[in-house]
Formats: sequence, structure tokens, C-alpha cells
Amino acid sequence: MNPEPFLQLDRVIHEKGRLAIMSLLAANTELAFTELRDTLAMTDGNLTTHIRTLQEAGYVAVAKSFQNKRPLTTCSLTSAGRKAFADYITLLEQIVAQTRQP
Amino acid sequence: MNANWAAENLQTIRTLMERSALYRRALAPVMMLTGGVGVAAGLVGGLTQCDSPGRFIRFWFAVAAATLTGALVVIRRQALRDKEPFWSPPTRRVAQAMLPALLIGLLAGLALLFAGAGFRATWALVPLWLALHGAGLNAAGFFMPRGIKALGWAFIAAGTLILLPILIWPERMEFRLTHWAMGAAFGGLHLAYGLYLRFTEKPDAP
Repeated sequence: MNPEPFLQLDRVIHEKGRLAIMSLLAANTELAFTELRDTLAMTDGNLTTHIRTLQEAGYVAVAKSFQNKRPLTTCSLTSAGRKAFADYITLLEQIVAQTRQP
Repeated sequence: MNANWAAENLQTIRTLMERSALYRRALAPVMMLTGGVGVAAGLVGGLTQCDSPGRFIRFWFAVAAATLTGALVVIRRQALRDKEPFWSPPTRRVAQAMLPALLIGLLAGLALLFAGAGFRATWALVPLWLALHGAGLNAAGFFMPRGIKALGWAFIAAGTLILLPILIWPERMEFRLTHWAMGAAFGGLHLAYGLYLRFTEKPDAP
């Protein structure tokens, strides 16, 4: 089996928690921090740490605003994040295809 | 390298993406409010002098507007409580799925209203409205958890059941029964589903 696709996998996305965050954000234009936290059953601290890592990689944008005088934090994928996620899935599909070859 | 690992990761991604597209607000309060207003409206319409086609259509337009407004207020309160945007992508998808059926119902009512339709034509509006509401719920059910599609089919079935006596015994269908039919079907089905959810829905649905 050619190990090259595996070696090319983006380590930032590859971590389980961050992969889940990227998956949810890829399906939506943006999601509230609380929606992410509740859907993934993560703690505030854990989610904040992962979001920060993704933000530093340039994959996720965080916007803070107010809705009815309450703070609202929303997250979305940047174009770089969307591309990285698409590349990651392509690589996974390549790995799956390789394993199915006789 | 584990051969299954990549496939499992892809499945996880697919599941999460599908799950995030689902509408997650608690439905029991919305259903119970809509059902309660619907049943009350059926009683009020049936017991008062709201017995002309024009009055019937205007009355149920008002009921529809009231229930829609009430549902939006409940959903907005839930969004505020959870510190989430009200007009979220799942909410938008549900609204977009329901909109065509609701618009057709509105247009059918307006057409009969302005054409000065008679009693029989207005009677036929009851099964049509119920079936269209069911079609809208069924479409929205693709983006909602927990049996909304089944509720949609229940409305379509109710519309079909109400249509049968209209076709078989048109002369026996008293016009005042339209309100009872709407109250029982529109209000009753929402209320029953709301009560079912009230006792089975987890606080943080789905």
C-alpha cells in the first residue's frame, strides 16, 4: 500500500475533536459556539482550545457579536479551512480506495 | 495502517454533517401552542356565527397567522435562551421546505375568497389545507428529527378522510362542521403530537 496519502493528512484537522468541529462547520455557513458545544458534547474549555488551534491554522474564523444584548460567538470555516477539509476528505477517500484494490 | 480507519473517519464526518443540518429546537411547546390555538379556534368558529365561506376563510387565515406568530415567538425565545441565532441554517431549511405548501394553501384560500366561492367549494378547502399542511410538514421532516414526517402523513390522511364524506354526501355536510373538522384535525393532531413530545422529548433535543 502506498503510504503517501496517509503522510499527507493534515495533522491539525486529523485530531478527533477538531475533525468533528470542521465537519459541523463544513455543513453550515456558521454555527454558534453553544451549538457546537452542545452537538459535540464538549466542555467550553475543550472546545475553546480546539477552536483556537483551528483559528491559528487559519481554518476557522470566530466572530463575536451581540444578540438582544447577549454576547453571541459564532464560528465559520475560512476559505483555507474549507479547502483543507476538502483535501482531507479526498485523501481519506484515496486511502479507502487503495485498501479496496485487489 | 488499519484499512477500516479511513472509512470510519469518513462515516463520522458524514454523520456529523447530516446531524448538524437537523433542526434541534424543542418542538413540544410549538406543537402544543399550535394545537391549543387550533382546538380553541375550532370551538369558537363552530359555536359562533362564523358560518359564511368568506368569514370561514378569513377566520382561519387569522388562526394560521396567530399560530405562526406564536410558534416563531416560542422558537425565538428558545434561541435566545440557548444564546444561538434565531434564523439558523436548520431553521432556514425547515422554513424553506414548508413555504411552498403553505403558500399554495394561502393562494387557494385567497382565490376562493375573492371568487366569492360557495359553501361546497369552501368545504373542499378543509381537506386541501390539511393535506397541504401535511405536505409541508413532510418536506420539513427531512431536516427535523422525531416523527415530523409521520405527522405530515397523518395530516394528509386526515385531509383524505374528511374529503370522503364531502364527495359521498355533499348535501349532508353542514357548513358549521368545517370549523369542527379544522379544530379536530389541525388542532387535535398538533396537540396530540405536542403532548407525546412533552412526555418523551429530551430537554436538549434531538
